[in-house]
Order: sequence, then C-alpha cells, then structure tokens
Amino acid sequence: MTATASPTSPAPTRTPLSATAIRELTMPAMLIAIWILFAVLSPAFLSPRNLSMLMIELSVTATLAVGVLLVLLPGHTDLSVGAGAGLLGGIASVLIFKHSWPAPAALALSLSVGVALYCGMGWFIVKNRIQAFIITLGGMLAFKGAFWLVIQSTTIPVVRGGEQNLYSALTTFYLPPTVGLALAAGVIAALAVLAIRSRKRRQSVGAHVPSFEEAYLKTFVAGQAILLVVLVCNQYQGVPLAFLILCAVAAVVHVLTQHTPFGRYLYAIGGNEEAAVVSGVPTKKVVIVAFTLLGSIVAITGFMATAYAGASTTTVGDLMELDAIAACVIGGTSLKGGRGTVLGALFGALIMASLLNGMTLLAVSPELKFIVRGVVLAFAVWMDVKLGRR
Amino acid sequence: MNPATSAPVLEARKLTKCFPGVIALNEVTFDLRPGEIHALCGENGAGKSTLIKTLSGIHPFGSYEGEIRVNGQPAQFTTLKDAEAAGLAVIYQELALVEEMSVAENIFLGNEPRRGPWIDWDASYAQAARLLAQFQIQIDPDVKVRDLGVGQKQLVEIVKALGKKSRILILDEPTAALAESEVEILLRILRDLRASGVACIYISHKLGEVKAIADRITVLRDGSSISTFDTASVEIPDIIRHMVGREIKELFPRDRNTPVGDTLLSVRNLEVAPDSSSPSRLRDVSFDVRAGEVLGIGGLMGAGRSELLLHLFGAWGERRAGEVQLAATADPNPDPQDSIQRGLVMVTDDRKRFGLHLDQPIGFNLSLSSLAPVTHLGLVDEARETQVNQKLFDALRVKAPGLDVPVGGLSGGNQQKVVIGKALMTQPRIVFLDEPTRGIDVGAKLEVYQLINRLTAEGKAVVLVSSELPELMGMSDRIVMLHEGQVGGTFLPEEFNQESLLAAAMGRSKPSAPTNP
Repeated sequence: MTATASPTSPAPTRTPLSATAIRELTMPAMLIAIWILFAVLSPAFLSPRNLSMLMIELSVTATLAVGVLLVLLPGHTDLSVGAGAGLLGGIASVLIFKHSWPAPAALALSLSVGVALYCGMGWFIVKNRIQAFIITLGGMLAFKGAFWLVIQSTTIPVVRGGEQNLYSALTTFYLPPTVGLALAAGVIAALAVLAIRSRKRRQSVGAHVPSFEEAYLKTFVAGQAILLVVLVCNQYQGVPLAFLILCAVAAVVHVLTQHTPFGRYLYAIGGNEEAAVVSGVPTKKVVIVAFTLLGSIVAITGFMATAYAGASTTTVGDLMELDAIAACVIGGTSLKGGRGTVLGALFGALIMASLLNGMTLLAVSPELKFIVRGVVLAFAVWMDVKLGRR
Repeated sequence: MNPATSAPVLEARKLTKCFPGVIALNEVTFDLRPGEIHALCGENGAGKSTLIKTLSGIHPFGSYEGEIRVNGQPAQFTTLKDAEAAGLAVIYQELALVEEMSVAENIFLGNEPRRGPWIDWDASYAQAARLLAQFQIQIDPDVKVRDLGVGQKQLVEIVKALGKKSRILILDEPTAALAESEVEILLRILRDLRASGVACIYISHKLGEVKAIADRITVLRDGSSISTFDTASVEIPDIIRHMVGREIKELFPRDRNTPVGDTLLSVRNLEVAPDSSSPSRLRDVSFDVRAGEVLGIGGLMGAGRSELLLHLFGAWGERRAGEVQLAATADPNPDPQDSIQRGLVMVTDDRKRFGLHLDQPIGFNLSLSSLAPVTHLGLVDEARETQVNQKLFDALRVKAPGLDVPVGGLSGGNQQKVVIGKALMTQPRIVFLDEPTRGIDVGAKLEVYQLINRLTAEGKAVVLVSSELPELMGMSDRIVMLHEGQVGGTFLPEEFNQESLLAAAMGRSKPSAPTNP
C-alpha cells in the first residue's frame, strides 16, 4: 500500500533515483581510484604496452564472468568453470600438439565437448532438482582430474615449434591500426542508427522516450569511449583479438538478457521461480540453455587463457571461477538470482583484472595479492549493500 | 476499566508520511484505548498499511512528520524491535514463521526460555502447549510449521505475538486466509484478550466481522480523510460509503443473461495425489465448464479447491485416474506452459508467491506470459510491448505512477490487477480465479466482478474459487462444493443458500454426495 499514487497525480518521479545514481557511480569511482593509485605507484601501469596486456587479461576474466552471469541470473551458480576452461583448453592443445590436428578443427571439437558437458550438467541439475553448487563442485573436481589426465600433468604448447596458428593467435593477434579505427567507426555508426531507430519506433507507438539530449549524450559518450580504447590500443600494436572476442561475447549475452524472451525468463526464474512456472515460463529449458551457452563461453575462455599462457599446464584455469563470480557480484549481480547486468559484470571484471595486473607490475607478493583481492570483493559488496540495495 | 474514558495506550498525532511522488498519510490522527478492539478499514491504497508500518517502527522515526505516543509518552521507534520492546506486536498478512521449525520453536523464536546459557527445550514445549491450550487451539507444538494449513499458521503467529506478552496487538487482515471455524476461534481469542486489557488494532476488509468484534471503527480514505465511529452507532453501508466516498449498491453484479456455449473443459472421475508416495487428495471429481459461464468452486480450507485448479492448470500433483478434456482434446499431462498455449490461464490465491515478481516493474510482470506475440525475429519489440502493456494498465485502472514502477510497492488490490492483467494478456478462453478478491477492498472487488462479467460476455469461461459464500453465490452460475477432495454437491442458482452449500462442504448433503468412510 506504500507507493500508490492517486489517479489524478501525474507521474513525476520513478523510484528513488538518487540512491541508484550513487550506486551506479561507485563502481566507476572505485575503478578510477584503483587506476590512479597504480599510475602513481608505477608509471608503467598506463603505458600502452601494459594497457594492452591488461586488455587481454581482462578479456579472459570478463568473458567468463559474462558467461557465469547467465547461470547466476536464474539463481544458479557454477564452480566448475575454471577447471572446465583448463580442461577444454587442454583438449585442444593435445589435439594440435600430439595429434597434429589443424587448429580450427581442434578448437571446434573442444568447443563442442564444452557445450555437451555443460548442457549435461544443466540437465542433471534441473531434472533432479539438485543444487547447482553441489553438482558444479563435483564438476570442478572431475574436470580438474580429467584435465590433468588429458595433458598427462605435463606442459602442452598450443602450437608446434614456434609457428603461428589460430589458437596462438587468440592472444597474439592485433588488428592493424587502420582496421581498428574503421571498425570503431562502424560500431559507433551502428550504435547511432540503432538508437535513432528505437526512438522512432517508440515514438510511433506513443511510448515514453527519453529526451533527445539524454539519448544523444549517451551515444556520444559510448562513441568516445570506443574511440579512446582503439586509439590507446593503436599506441601499441592495435586492438587485441582477445578483446574483440570479449566484445562479441558480451554483445551477444547483453542482447540475449535484455532483448529476448529467454533473457526475461532468466530474470523471472531468479526473481521468483514459482511465479515463473505459473506464468508459463519453460523454466527447465531456460536453465539448461543457460548452462549450454555457458559451456561454449567456458571453452572460449579456456582457449584464450591457455593461449595467453602459451601452453596448457596444470595451473591454467585455477580459481578462475571465483574471479568470474566475484566480477559479477562486484558488478551488482545477486547470487540469489534475478538481478545483474552484462555491463556490471564487465565493470567488475575490469576492477579485478586491474587489481591483479597492477599488483603484478608492482611485484606484490602472491600472498598479499590474494588478501587484497579478497578484501576488495568484500568491500565492493559491502558498499553495494550500504548504498541502498536494502 | 472503561475504555471510553481511559487514556489512550497508543496515539498518532498528525502523522504525515510521504513517498516519492505520493503522500501516503496526511495529518492522520488516531488513538487506541486500553482494552478495546479498534478496527481500521479503508480501500487498498488508503494508507492502512503505511499507518501500521509507521506506528510499529518499520518506517523509522524521522521518516515521517507528526508524533506517536505510547501510554502518553512520545515514542521514537527506529526499528520494529523498538516497538516490540514497548509492547507492540504486529501480525502481518504475510506470515513470518520459519517453515522448517516446530510450532514451539516458532512461538519462542528470539525469546527462548533459557536455563543458563542453554535453551530450555522442555520449558519451551511445555509453555507452548500451555499457551495453545489456553486459547483452545488444537495444534501440537512439536509439529513443523511447514505441515500446517494457512489458517493454523495464522493462529500460531498470534500465539507467538502473545508469547511476547504484548499489550498492543496489531492484526493486518488476520482472517483473509482463515476458514469459517478458524475465524470463530480467532474472534474468541480476541474477545478474551480484550477482557484481559490487551488493546488491538484490527485491519480487515470483512465488514461483517468488523461490525461483530470491534468497539470502534476508523475508516481511512486516500491517506487523509479519517473518521472514527463507535461500532454501535454505525451500519455497514455507512462504513462502505465512507471507505469509497460513494455508495455501492450492488455488491455482486453478476449478469446471468450471458448465453452458455460449448463445453470448454470437461473433467471426469479425476483422482490426484500430491506425489507418487502420498495418498490421493482429490477423488472422483467430475464437472464441465462451458463458454460464457462462471463455475464456482467452494469448500472448507483443505478441501482441495486450489489443488484442483492447480492440477488442471498443470502446476500441482500427479494424476492417478480420470480424464480431462481441454477444448475438446485430451489433456493427460498438463504443464502451465501448454495450458496457457491452449487457452487456459490461472490466477493463484497467493499472489506474492505464485503471481508476481515483486522486484520487477509492472510492465515486466504484465507481459511475462505473453512475450511471443511481441517478439520479432527472436527479439522482444519493446515499443510494441510497452504499447500492449499500457493498454491493459489503463483498462484495469491500475493505480501507479507508471509501467516501470516495481510491483512490490503497489497495494494489494493493484497487485491483484497486475496478476489478472498478466493472465488476460494471454488471450485465454478459460480463466481460473483462485480467491481473486482476497485482501482487496470493496471498490477493487467490484472491478474484479465487472471484469468477470465482461469475460463471460466475450464467451470465455471463468472458474471461481472463493471461501466467501456470499461471493460464491453472488457471482457463480453453478457451484460445485468440494468436501475432502470429493464433490460434495453441485448447485444451480435457484438452489443457492448458505446452509445447503455449507452442508455439502461438510459432507452432509443429500444429492450425489458420496459417503465418507
């Protein structure tokens, strides 16, 4: 009975805006603070070379975070993604290095293994109503063992003797500067066209449209950001391929979660599963599909992480599941489900990746690195709760 | 003591409480005297819940203007806990019991009898049993709350509040989920409490009950206009007039002139169990539902009314025997998604649990079941979706600033409109309404009834479950009374009267009622 308006009153306010605005600004503020700190402590942090490396590291963490978001939204979780990434990267390495498969075929087979494994896990969780935490914990252990079996607990390079292949290119290929700029221009133009079309469409049916200035400003800022990223990358070797992969995955998941019935259903299941069932949402199917999509993203992450390490070794993928979940949570995702966005997860991943990169640059001891990451995670969530998530 | 002269135990002076864009309470003054039952009535959105939340510290001191006094002293509650310490206990519509704990554990939760640092379990159970016996409630304190019916839970909740020795009791719609017999128990308990000097604020939409039990009645309208009456000096129509600010003549405006068409749903000898290892809850149930009619389904709590609807909709139970035909084709193994596609939709009785996504905006909720028609090439066309939502939002006259307001902040009646709107957007041919007017006010009830008339006029069929017999008799074209999972009797309008319906619900009717072992 709280927020009803009398029918005569116009609709001046939506829900409390100031609190949400502050909350949305804390993450960027935190990120900028971290960057300033590192830039002061180590001038090399903002060097083009380091920023380029940071982008590749970000690509690995953030791609996985965006995938994990898909199962966090409907209120599930996945602890197996780190071990899964190691395993799938390992399978591709072994096929290439030991069995001389062409890289595209090896990657494609490994990707399908990932899809099958996660589809199976999702099916098992849904059909038997077992908590995802338990099943994926089992998955984590089993995948880890399978991974070490596959690579015989040795080191398997992603490419034979110093050559180049699609696999190694994932983290070593850069777009030539002019191509990068052209791509940026194309993306900005596409964003502008989409914004204008959606405005016209909404106007034509008489729906509420934000003011033109607001819409223009949003597109303008997005365009500036894209351009800035490309210009910084071009200072070094160009836009890394890994970053393009991240952008593609993030764009797909963003559209899926925000603009498709499937996405609505993810939020509906996480928010109130019983109500979702009664509303006719195919809850089981949706969760299985979410896990299946996650499987393909785990494979892609595994390829990038393995390529970045240069070879498949027993430590690839270690603790990546926790980084991915932490990134989502820092980005405002609820572990109970029903709340979270791709943009938030990307921000969270950027904070985690920046921390790790900066501390490595400063030669911080591994012990301290763990402690700092843990404290930042707890702090970020505490801030979020404090700032009016209730 | 004489309530009319003694100083108030709880007093609100010129309370004003604003939410963004809305003034929920505007200089409301209210007082509660010791040893009285003071009813609080008003339409949904009138500000009753806001008043209660302000009085009990949920809206903390500082978030409102005006003054609250307890026993003549100014009170500044910042949490519910503060209010409880001052002797207030609030029993909400949404129950606050821990399902996995026993009745005794719940009664003493946060207040456990101790022996040294340890909980004295023996004392807990003994005291719980004594409390329950004192109020003549037949519930075993050992039983898990999960295994109780809604009505029994409500009684446990009340006993829990009394276990805290509260002197001021606030009950928000305590009888909304209770069966007739349980209401009796509750009213008796309240009278006993009154005799012992406990003061009680009683919020209810059931005006008959209010008239029967309250000493004074306060009617709140639009958060500002407030009038208090001595119960003896006011009649129900006056109360209604004050609530809505206009006179409502017809309480149940069923239009029985709609032509009845084809059979849309046919149920034969249905037998259903909760799961494969439990005994059947529904047995030998048969009935037809035809286009253009309202089939009423009645029965006592636990008779299987909701279960029957939920099963036919595909959200409950395992079918052991029987045949169901939906739109002239067999419907052996329904699930909600199929049912909706085949034109059968359900509005459940527990709207917060099964009906709504409270954190999500109104628009999200309205279109959740009907995304396919607004989806183009796999993408939701948000412009068209908004258009469709807005149309329904306007047609149902949902009182809210706009489509992007979270449903959780709406009043009960407006939430119910959203649930019904979601169901109607699926373009159904049969609509199941399970207690569609529970906990909503007179004006909103009338709108629901008019909606039912409109649906049947369009050739749709409505199946209406209600525990209020007047509503059932007023709105149905035919009534099936259930008794312990079986059909206790079927009635046509000329046979409608409270006694025979109740007799059928209790398994004591003549026509076609199977005997009970």
